[in-house]
Amino acid sequence: MSRLEALGRVVATERKPNTPHEFHFWTAIDSPVGIGTIVRVDGAQPVDGQIPHIYGIIVEGFSYTDLQTPLHDVMSHDGSPTQAGFASTERAEIRLYTAAVLRQIPEDPLQPVPMGQVFLAEEEDVQVALRMDGYLRDGAHTGIPIGVYRAGGTDAVIYLDADFLLGPEAAHLNITGVSGLATKTSAVEWLLASIFEHFPEDKGSIAAVCFNVKGPDLCYLDQPGRIEASDEQLYEKLEVDPKPFQSVEYFAPYTAKGLTLNTFRNNEALLDNITPLTWGLREVLQFAEVLLNKDDVDAKADALIDFIKENIIDKEFSDPILQKKHMVQSFADLDAWFRDVLQGMERKDGDSWRTHHVATIRKVRNRLSNISTRCAGLVTDSGAVSDLPFGSFGDRTVYVVDVANLEEDAQDLIFARIVSKLREHLERRDLGVKHLIVFVDELNKYAPGDGADTYVRKMLLDIAERGRYLGLVLFGAQQFRSQVHRRVVGNSGTALFGRMDPDELSTPGYAVLSPATRTKLATLEKGQLMVRHPHFTQPIFVRFPRPSVMQGREGSERYPQSSEVSIESAVLRGLRPLDPSITLTWVQDITALYTEQEVIRARNATLLARPTDVKAYFTAQFRKIIPAQPAPRPMAATIRSAPENDPYGF
Amino acid sequence: MRATSSGRDVASQAALRMLMARLPGVTAVDGAPSIEPPASGDPPTVQTAELVEGSSMQVIKVPDPEADAQSGFAAFLDGAQQVQVMGDHAGIPIVYGTVSAAVRLRVNRRMVTWEGLPPRVKRSFFLPRRYLPPLSEVPSLVGESQLEVVDSAKANKNGSFPIMHPTALLDSAFRAVNEMREQLEHEFAEAWCASEKAPLFIDGGISGIPNASSSCAVGVVKSHRTLFAEGDALRTVFRLSKGERSSVFRVSPRSRSTVYSWYLRVRDVSHHDSMWGLVRVEIARCDRPTERADEISRWVIAEMSPLSLPDGRWDKMAYGIRDCEEFLRAIS
Repeated sequence: MSRLEALGRVVATERKPNTPHEFHFWTAIDSPVGIGTIVRVDGAQPVDGQIPHIYGIIVEGFSYTDLQTPLHDVMSHDGSPTQAGFASTERAEIRLYTAAVLRQIPEDPLQPVPMGQVFLAEEEDVQVALRMDGYLRDGAHTGIPIGVYRAGGTDAVIYLDADFLLGPEAAHLNITGVSGLATKTSAVEWLLASIFEHFPEDKGSIAAVCFNVKGPDLCYLDQPGRIEASDEQLYEKLEVDPKPFQSVEYFAPYTAKGLTLNTFRNNEALLDNITPLTWGLREVLQFAEVLLNKDDVDAKADALIDFIKENIIDKEFSDPILQKKHMVQSFADLDAWFRDVLQGMERKDGDSWRTHHVATIRKVRNRLSNISTRCAGLVTDSGAVSDLPFGSFGDRTVYVVDVANLEEDAQDLIFARIVSKLREHLERRDLGVKHLIVFVDELNKYAPGDGADTYVRKMLLDIAERGRYLGLVLFGAQQFRSQVHRRVVGNSGTALFGRMDPDELSTPGYAVLSPATRTKLATLEKGQLMVRHPHFTQPIFVRFPRPSVMQGREGSERYPQSSEVSIESAVLRGLRPLDPSITLTWVQDITALYTEQEVIRARNATLLARPTDVKAYFTAQFRKIIPAQPAPRPMAATIRSAPENDPYGF
Repeated sequence: MRATSSGRDVASQAALRMLMARLPGVTAVDGAPSIEPPASGDPPTVQTAELVEGSSMQVIKVPDPEADAQSGFAAFLDGAQQVQVMGDHAGIPIVYGTVSAAVRLRVNRRMVTWEGLPPRVKRSFFLPRRYLPPLSEVPSLVGESQLEVVDSAKANKNGSFPIMHPTALLDSAFRAVNEMREQLEHEFAEAWCASEKAPLFIDGGISGIPNASSSCAVGVVKSHRTLFAEGDALRTVFRLSKGERSSVFRVSPRSRSTVYSWYLRVRDVSHHDSMWGLVRVEIARCDRPTERADEISRWVIAEMSPLSLPDGRWDKMAYGIRDCEEFLRAIS
């Protein structure tokens, strides 16, 4: 069929009339259209001297024959289905489609769709239908390719408007899809690559912070992945270079023992761009309410915590009941301070100190001390801080924070603090980049529609509602959109849908979709998405290429996660990326006389400082211990020999 | 053939306005009621036919009617007519008739319209001119189609005219519409036979077709007002079971072509009347009528699937003919 030939005709009856937002048309039986196909109607009569063009997307399809009842067909073939194939004539059959209007030209006066011929939309039609022509103009091109629309031989690139994806007009993106099909993560990886390639230079720099909350999916963004020929064609069409991210930095806390990093990406071959994430007392106490629930922290405890923040942390503190002056900089210092206060109160046999009751002091001590245990590996007793490079974020750089293996408390703390810091820096315009994307998976868990009003949920709501003014954009993903807080998903200007769970599709939020569209959503293949965007009046189905980065499963097979190793091996693994000349023997020689805690502290300090002379710096971290010299053995006094004639001798 | 009626549509309303302009005194009739085919059309008759296969009417089993269910028919021809009483002029009914015909071609088991002669729809007023004043000459307005008027009160073969009785005039108008529809069907049949070689399934007899000698025209008659058998021969016909045919006989109507014909039972007659599933097939005369009758009988039986339900004549109607009727209903 020629591309210029009509493929259908608009029809309308009194029972099924056309409206300004919906119309019906029939096609030949073998017409290459289906749910999601975009069509163009050319009206027969001019309106105000202009032939109307109506663009629509097929949302429902019907097929029926002239049969009045199925029984007639049974009778036709004497109840034998095998005979049906021998009938000389097929029954008259219709393919009737319902299309939702995407755009009418002219747009005013808005009238019901007129009768006319229906054509398959070509690439130019798709641009007009989706109003992409408004942001794909020369000199004002803000399009970010999201995928390719394919139907009946038409391959059209679908662009999102950067102003509506990353602000300031609208912002945020939400992805929904069942787990296990790699739709959500793959879509984000692809979209980040597309954004980094196509985000207009004049709009400034952009970076992304991705929280890896489960599995190894985001752990190999800097490693090349396998893509097929069909994907290469898509990359070419979408004008994106099929290569892994050029600048990726990983952050992960240590395991509880503190020897290795608590991440899937702790294989020795991949340690060069991974930084330990460790925080001290100051960083944690700032977000104490993330870890201390309301039942724990009543007004009295809150008052004591405030007192500690105001007067104790990082200040020289003395008090008559204390035995010494305290300078609290770490959890260890804080615990010493608490011990001194409580001992002083015991000595005075008093119930309270500075209006704080002893029971409250004991409770706060217990809760705060517990944090370093609950968040072991992240929170250090020593106070050593290793953090994201706030203030020097790089353009087109992905910062992955791996929290997949952490306890929920530690995940919450990391999320709350990092997002708060990002927000602070963006407010001050000193983050290092102008726009920042924050990707969070499992919004079901972090911003649920029901349940407790947690600190993390409040932060996500804040980003969703006010982030776009700062350049802070939330890319959220979840399996069940219906279970995410309405204000989080509602504020997402753009929404992507992968294959959906039928139960989820039966929730009220999807009632606006036609049954056929819902069916298509439930059966989408890998690499297919339904896209909702402010410029599109109806959702559009697109295909996107497989991300050109190594997938989690392949990465974890090629770079297996390291298990816990000896302290010397852990030091070697940590320092060798900084100085390849370091050997295990050298580490063993240097650390032989010191405790495990001292060795870990020295390693962490070296990794944090990243000095030029790694060996010297690492060695300097240890207290001087004069190696014990073997004591000279005293000369044994000569035993006099007994006289030969000694009568007592033997 | 299909006969239907409906209310006035835009085209018929425009035609009525034109007629009223040229024939003062015409008043419109509410709802434009239809007229049913006259009950006393041709009276039921029986005739003795001249056998061309054997010496007496026999029951002949169609060889392997189910074994080769493929039909040799390439296309189907049918016509339709719509008769409405649109107005009244001093008791004289003003009849508006619409006739149409088309050939539907079978391509890959699906029906499409034959392009050799595009479907035609003719609309006319059928007026008993002898009982009405002459039509005044009114120039047609730009864009208006010509008003077609047919005199429905012509003398019959005996030279007598229909009496000025509304029912008689309606009957004569109906016959005129019928003739127009038959004429149209014959034009299509002739056009097909002149340009195509493949057999054409025609709804109705073919003896009226001038070129009926063509081997490509096969008529299948569903109504049996005239039975071409008497006595034992008729009882033999009524005894036909599904997949059986009668002996071939010759039909030679007056002023029409002579054709070969036979009866064929296409459905199981159990628990039904004798006419159930009984059709009469007409073909042009040929040298080997037995082989031809067997072959075409198999084709006709094959055409009975799928069923033509919900049409009331589904026991005798081929699906291709139903498709023609639905097509004509859509365009007329």
